[in-house]
Parts: sequence; structure tokens; C-alpha cells
Amino acid sequence: MPAAYPLPSDLSPVTVANTASLLRIIALALISGAAIASRLFAVINFESIIHEFDPWFNYRATKVLASQGFYEFWNWFDPTAWYPLGRVVGGTIYPGLMATSGVIYNLLHALNLPVDIRNVCVLLAPGFSALTAWATYMFTKEMKDESAGLLAAAFIGIVPGYISRSVAGSYDNEAIAIFLLMFTFFAWIKALKQGSAFWGTITAVFYFYMVAAWGGYAFITNMIPLHALVLLLMGRFTGRLYVAYSSWYAIGTLSSMQVPFVGFQPVRTSEHMAALGVFGLLQIVAFGQLVRAHVSSKQFQELLLAAVISLGLIGFFGIVGLTYKGWIAPWTGRFYSLWDTGYAKKYIPIIASVSEHQPTAWPSFFMDLHFLIFLFPAGVVMCFRTLRDEHIFVIIYAVVASYFAGVMVRLMLTLTPVVCVSAAVALSSLMDTYLDPTEPSVEDDKSESSNTPSTGTSASRPATPATSKKTKKNKEKEKEKEASASAGSVLSELVSNVTSSAVAAKSATTAERGVFGMDTRLVVLLNSLGLLLFFVVHCTWVTSNAYSSPSVVLSSTSSDGGKNLIDDFREAYHWLRQNTAEDAVVMSWWDYGYQIAGMADRPTLVDNNTWNNTHIATVGKAMSSPEDIAYPILRKHDVSYVLIIFGGLIGYSGDDINKFLWMVRIAQGVWPDEIQEPNYFNRGEYRVDSEASPAMRDSLMYKMSYYRFAELFGGQQPVDRVRGQHVPVQGPTLDYLEEAYTTENWIVRIYEVKKDDVLGRDLKIANAFNQGKKRKRTKPMSRRKAIGA
Amino acid sequence: MLWPLLALSLFPLSLAAQKSVHEQLVDLAAAGNGLIQLNEQTYDLLASPKRDWSAAVHFTALHPQRRCAPCKEFEPAFTAVAKAWANAPKDQRDKHFFATLDFDDGPAVFQKLGMSSAPGVHVYPPTDGPNASAKKAPFKYDFQNGFEAGPLAEQLSVHTPIPIPYKAPFNWARAGSIVSLIPIITLIFRFIKPALQNRWVWAAGTIATSLVMTSGYMFTRIRGAPYTGPNGAWIAQGYQNQYGQEVQVIAMVYGILAGSFLMLTVVTPRQLSPTRQRTQVYLWTTVNFLVFSILVSLFRVKNPGYPFKLIL
Repeated sequence: MPAAYPLPSDLSPVTVANTASLLRIIALALISGAAIASRLFAVINFESIIHEFDPWFNYRATKVLASQGFYEFWNWFDPTAWYPLGRVVGGTIYPGLMATSGVIYNLLHALNLPVDIRNVCVLLAPGFSALTAWATYMFTKEMKDESAGLLAAAFIGIVPGYISRSVAGSYDNEAIAIFLLMFTFFAWIKALKQGSAFWGTITAVFYFYMVAAWGGYAFITNMIPLHALVLLLMGRFTGRLYVAYSSWYAIGTLSSMQVPFVGFQPVRTSEHMAALGVFGLLQIVAFGQLVRAHVSSKQFQELLLAAVISLGLIGFFGIVGLTYKGWIAPWTGRFYSLWDTGYAKKYIPIIASVSEHQPTAWPSFFMDLHFLIFLFPAGVVMCFRTLRDEHIFVIIYAVVASYFAGVMVRLMLTLTPVVCVSAAVALSSLMDTYLDPTEPSVEDDKSESSNTPSTGTSASRPATPATSKKTKKNKEKEKEKEASASAGSVLSELVSNVTSSAVAAKSATTAERGVFGMDTRLVVLLNSLGLLLFFVVHCTWVTSNAYSSPSVVLSSTSSDGGKNLIDDFREAYHWLRQNTAEDAVVMSWWDYGYQIAGMADRPTLVDNNTWNNTHIATVGKAMSSPEDIAYPILRKHDVSYVLIIFGGLIGYSGDDINKFLWMVRIAQGVWPDEIQEPNYFNRGEYRVDSEASPAMRDSLMYKMSYYRFAELFGGQQPVDRVRGQHVPVQGPTLDYLEEAYTTENWIVRIYEVKKDDVLGRDLKIANAFNQGKKRKRTKPMSRRKAIGA
Repeated sequence: MLWPLLALSLFPLSLAAQKSVHEQLVDLAAAGNGLIQLNEQTYDLLASPKRDWSAAVHFTALHPQRRCAPCKEFEPAFTAVAKAWANAPKDQRDKHFFATLDFDDGPAVFQKLGMSSAPGVHVYPPTDGPNASAKKAPFKYDFQNGFEAGPLAEQLSVHTPIPIPYKAPFNWARAGSIVSLIPIITLIFRFIKPALQNRWVWAAGTIATSLVMTSGYMFTRIRGAPYTGPNGAWIAQGYQNQYGQEVQVIAMVYGILAGSFLMLTVVTPRQLSPTRQRTQVYLWTTVNFLVFSILVSLFRVKNPGYPFKLIL
């Protein structure tokens, strides 16, 4: 068989193997470098700063851990959060992230590298992305081979779907969780392949790390049992499966229960019951197999089968019964809302209100995964072709994760690894086919080709030179026949090393296959190379433009192309830190709770750990009620300052007026009599201009947002740039609050809650008196009583 | 001084009148199996300013001429809740009434209340007697949970003396059809068993699922996005938005692209004639390139800020 292009001939197989492994190491190092470097846009464009909301809490907790040690951190009670309730931090978080950076911090300090804890936190996610690339390489290597592994590592290193959660400064649980996810899956596959309790234990250890790091561990808790169950149903039960699963489940579950936040959930909640059920099922099946191996009587075997089935049924109904009796908690709302997609909006508006819990439209998929999104199904088909045990895992993962990613934008993160893996499998199969220099014999030599040893990778052999005469390409090659002949054998060595045995076995049955000519190879490879290049350019563009904004500092482009930084948030938080009493309680919507605690260091009523719906609804009620109803609420909660976000001046669309309806909805969930969503609409329209509904116009949020807004426009009709509506020239007035601080671009506005009037009057009356208005004889007394209560 | 006297003299009369009103209403409710069919007069009785009962009034327009589709959709839910209330204990039941008023029976009432749309549910709190509510304005049910009976019963229970003993009816028809399906399914299973054991059947299912899911199918399901937009536009404007038809188009595009890769990898190398193979290679590479450019240009429609494009 001829070769399409010559290969060096004077290489020993050892040299080839060594060079290949060196190249792999270099490639992995470069991939790690690229993964880290592409995540540093945020640091270069802005600065080394913690991003967004949740990371601010993680950072604050890590600071406690680094400065006061692990035990203090473990027992930390934070009285400033959820004022006046406080929060037991140690028992309500996944400590894996903080512990990781604490260990790194202490290690670096032990090496006399005085790194600031903030920089450890900022750079943790890029660092772990390099590890993720490595774990994905290992995982994909188990699926196909090293070359697919390298492709998968390169994909996951720069794919925006993962970068979006792991840029420098995005110090969140997901930063380390994807590495743990991939490594746990890799260890599981390894354990399953080898039937090794050692790898099963490693799976369990990394599973424990994952449980300690991210609430998404439930994904692993259900993926592995699902895989085991499918294998069982396909009749692929083996001793290897039994050993791997049992060692993972026993050790993993016991160790996961050591995390205080998880506690007894693995035996008490429905999310974990699948794992327990499959564990029990495997024991029954294994027992059945064992007995069957020792007993010959046919009747006894039938009896045994019946016994096994009835045992399984008893176990199943036992679990159902326990759930019914309340011993096993039913699915939590968050989990349930993945299946019944209307559930969250109806019953848990807090979950539905978060933007990352919205369903995903197709542009998001393309933006985050680019060409991988259509290589992904091709890779799944490749998995179906070989269909070893580990390929079934990828297939299940693909179906489950693509459903979840469609339901919630946030779960794009769990889809990304499997997309990278199977796209890499598909692309590397394509590359293998078109890089392989072997050319098949032409059609009319069929009889001869059947004589040749029938492995597809068996490269050119000098034994069959005559077959190739007819193709014109081969004529050119004729001169280098001798060279290519011996080169082919080296290459065949290399290729058969690289190509998995399954592919080889597959091609062995399908006689001859291969590609004729150089031009065909070139055109396919150039097309693939073009796709890859486009992918790199796309990823770079998306990362630098969409995913590298810290959202604490905003940037805008001015008309002359220059860049403006909008630093209102830090300005406001710094003002709070410098100008208010240390125990002054700040009320804001829950989105900003962690930032206020982290940057301003002031107590907050609610924050991003949305554990207490009533407390959040209280804030929602205060924001959506008229001033005189809100004031007693504010006073009862010792609120000194109210902080709101207002984007109407510069067009920042993520402001509180746009989130206002969620405040109303959440408040309505607790006080349906007092707050009703339709009251905030004017004939079904959400308006802030002169047509705004009375409830809207009287609400505290509206008043605080547009207070003195008209003054900026010097008598002209003021325009809200977010809603694109004209706000009345006569702005709202405030009686119970006064403006304390407004930032440069008006994004953050802080109001101080007035203390009781010194003369004991109602503040509204006092205000009217100060403005020289005549007191109206109404019923102000009842209100003052409410304040005292 | 005259007022109390007058009131005193009127008191027995009003008491008698009211009692009769209440009894009238109880009779009406019993006649209607828990639901009072109102007209203008009975509405005034029910919503009389001095009442020690509460009432949930359902405003609707069921006459076909009115073409009120939501009215028809909501009507069974309200009737079911009203029927459920008829099962409440006698002493509590008569403190609350369920009534329905069709537009054609009392347009004047609709006019008086300024109601411009139907259906609607108002709950009138009692104004008199021990349960008198401080709030005078009727509670208006909003349909944010749809037209189902469950949420309606839950919300109305806040205003009734005791929670409405509503239980979602057991769907006998569905249960029956499921039970009858079991033998059919087992029968079919025997025939399709080979198909179920064929990996390519499963492969087709898997690929179809992942293609449809990654084309935003769940988005259209959850958001209830229309199949096409107004004027036949099939691409929704905006990055976070899409129509039903986009799911089909994008899934097809992804399918073609994935298919072209599979053809190049799996099918083409098996072709034993060089010319035919070369034709196939060029064909599928061109298809791949062209369809991908179409995909990128579609993406540029959705995200106008996207700076890259291929030939299109």
C-alpha cells in the first residue's frame, strides 16, 4: 500500500515514542499557559480585583481564614449579615474554595513568598483552569487517545463557556469545581475500567473535595449512579463495576457527610437516593451472580431470580415509603425546578429572579461553545460506534447536560466539559483519517487488497507496490518509494499506538479504508485548521469583550473611542466605610449585600445567601410601599441607610427599577394583601413616567430613584435613559429619608433614614411645618405609635 | 339626637331585611349547587353594603358572541372551587358565597364597576358582624398563576372563614387510559424490542435530543415563545430571545454540520473509487464551510456587535 506523502525513515520506534511524549508535555504546558493567559484580560483591562457579588463573600471569608486560622473560620458567626439575625458562616457554606486558597496562601508564606491573600483569590480560578485542562486531557485519553486528549484540553482551556465562570477575579465555587468534576469523572472511568478499589477511593476523595467545594456536586451524585444503572440494564454488570461503584459510594458518602453544610443529607434527601438505590441494587445483583455461580439447580436459580427482584422492589418501595412518611426529604425546590420548569416562578420567585437561572436561547450556546456545539453531536456518534463502558458515560452526560444547559444559563458550565470532550473525539477522528498517509488500493484491485493484512492502520508495505500505479499522485511518490516504505512502518507503529484498539478492531472488520491523494487531505485539514483558528479568534474576542468585566467597575467607550471607567460602586462603598458609624445598618436589595459587607464593611439586612425568604420579602415590602408604611419597617430593623442602584442617568440597565418587579413579587408572596403586582402596572405597562401607576409613584424605590433627578436637566423634561421614558419635571419628595450621598454617575444613591422628630411629631408633619404649610387635621397619631412598637 | 333614634327605629327592620337577604342567598347557593348565578338584582343583594358574609364573585362573558376564550378556560376552575366550598361544614359555608355574573345578565354591573375585561374574580369582605374586615375594597384575583383551580382555591382561602376544602380531582380518565395502555405497550415492546437493542436507535434519539436542546428548545418551552413573530419574521431580535422556528432551523444547521463531519470521517474513507471519493470530500467540505458561514451570519443577526464573518 502506498503512502500519500513521505515520512522520515531513519527513526527508531523509541525515538518516535519519546518525541511524542515530549511534544505532549510541551503541548499541555502551552495549553495551560493559554488557559491562564486568556483569563487575565480582566486584570489587564481593569485591575486585580474581586468580581461580581458572591466572590466578595468568598473573599471576605477567605480573609478570615487566612488571618485567624481554620478553627476561627469554622466557628465563625457573622453578626453583621442578615441583621438582626446573623449568620453561622461555618455551617452554611461550602468551605472547599476558601480552604484551597488558605492552603495556597500558607504554603506560599511558608516559602517566604509574601503574596497578598487578594492576589491568591484573584488568580485561583485561572490557575485551576490549567488543572482543568489537564484533567480533561486525562479523561479524553480514556475515551479515545492522547491526541484527542490534547484537543479536548485545548478546547476547554479557552472555551468561553468555561471562561465565563473562571476569569481572574471570579473567585467563586465554580472556579475549582469544574476541575474537581472532571477529575472525579476521570477517576471514576479509570476505576470502572480497571475494577480498582484504589481508583474508586480516589474518585471518592475527589468527590469529597467536590462536595466541600460546590453545591453542584449533586450532579456527580446522580451521574455516576445513572451510568452504573444504564450499564446494569445493558447487561454489562461486571465485578469491575461492582468494585468501583461500591468503593466510591461507601467512602464518598461517608466523607461527604463530614461537610457541615451537607451533614446527613446524603441519607435524608431525595437527591441522593438514586446513589443509594443503585448501591443497593448492585449488592443484590452481585449477590445473585455469586449464588448463581455456586448453585446448579435450575429451580433454585428461578427462585433466586424471584428473590432478587422482590428484594429490589422492597428496597424501592421502602425508599418511597420513607419519603412519604417524611423521613427522606423530597426534592428541594432548586432541584425540582430543573424538571418542572414552571415550578420556580410559581413558588420560589427568588430563584426565578436570578438572571443566571433563566433558560438559554441558542445564541448563548453558540457564543459560549462556537464550533464545538456542532462537533459535539458528531463526537457522540463516534462514542456510539465503539460503545465501550466509558463511552456510555459520555453519552449519558451529553443528554443530561444539554437538557440542563437549556433550562438554565448557569448550567452551561456543566455542559461545556462534555462538549469539549466529544468535540475533541470527533475532530481527532477526522484528523486521524486525513493525516494518516496510508492510501488504500484502488477499486479494481479488490482481490489483492483482501490479501493484505486487514488492519486499517497497517501502513504501506513494500510487498504491494504494484497496486498503486494508477493514481497519479502515486506516480510522484514512486521516486521515494523506498523511503516511504520504511517510513511507513515507523508511522504504522506510531499510528497504531495512537489510534485506540477499538478503532483498529472496527476498521479491521471493514477491510480497506483510507483517503486517496494529497489534495483531499489538504482541503479537509485546511478547513479544520480554519475552524480551529476561527475558534481561537472567537474565544479571544468573547473573553475580552463579554466575560472580563468585573461588574464592580464598569467601562464605557466614549465617542472618540477612549475608554471611561465608571467606578461608582466602589465610590459609594468607600463613602459608607469612611462616613458612617461602624454599626450603621445598610438596607439594599439582596444583590448588593455581599458587596456592602465586603467593601463597605457594614451590617446588611439581606445578602446573596438568600436563605430567609421572609427577610428578603420584608426588604421588598419596604422598597415597594409608600414612605409612611416603609418607615416603621426601616426603624424596626434599625436601618440607618438605604442604598439603591439607579442607572437612569447613564443608562445602566441592571438597576433597581428594573429589578423592582421582583421585589414586588417576592413581597407579594408573603403579604398578598398589602402588595399586589398589578398595582404597579398602568394598563399592563411598566412605566416610570407621568403615566406611572399610583402605587409605583408612591413606592419608596421610585421616590429614591428619581429624587432630585429633574434638577439635572435644568427645567427640561428629564429622560430616563434605561427605560427611555420622560420622567415628570416635578420630581418626588421625601419626608422620612434624606439623601446622604449620590455617586458621580448617579449609579449608587444612598439615603439616610431620619431619626424621630425631636418634638415627637410625625416627620411628614414636621416637614410640612418647616416648609410653612398649614397642618392638616388628619390622623397622624396612629402612625407615631407604630414607630414606637 | 335624631340620628340614633332613627337608627334604632330602623334597626329591626334592617335586621329582618338582612336576614332574609342572607337566607335568600343561602337558598340561591343551595339551588346552584354552591354557585349563585347572579343578575343585576341578586348582585345588589350579594354586594349589599351591610353584609356579614363574604363573597367571591366571578365576572365572565360566556356567550359565544363575546368571544372570550379565557372566560371559557377559567370557568370550570371557578365552578370546581365553588363546588368544593359546598362541602364545607354548614355553619361556615353560609358565611361565604361563590357567585358568577355573566356580562349578558348584568352589563350595568360591569359598567358600574368599570370592568373592561373578563374574566375577573372579586372577593367582597364582610362589612358587618363579628368578621367585619377593615378593608372595604374588594380583593381582585390576578391570574398570574394561570387559570387553574389549585392556585385559585389557595388564594381565595385567605379570604374565606375556613380554607376551601378543594382537592384537585383525581383524573380517572387519564388513569384509565394509562392502565389500558400497559398491555398495549407490552405488546408493542415485544415488536420493537430489537429496535430498542439497536444502538443506532438510541444514537438517533441522543443526537436528536442534544441538537434540539442546544438550539434553545427549552427556552421556547419555558418562555412560551411564539413559533414566528409578527409579519412572518422568524428570527427574534435580540441576543436573549428566539422564536420556535429558530429552534428548527438551528437544529437543522447543527445537524448538517455534524453530519458533514461524520461523512468525512466515517463514510468517505470507505469509498473505494478515487474520483468518487474526491467528489465526496470536496462536496462535504464545501457544505461544511458554507453552512458554517450561514450559521455565523445568523449569529450576527442575533448579536449585531459580533465582528467576524465568513464569506456571507
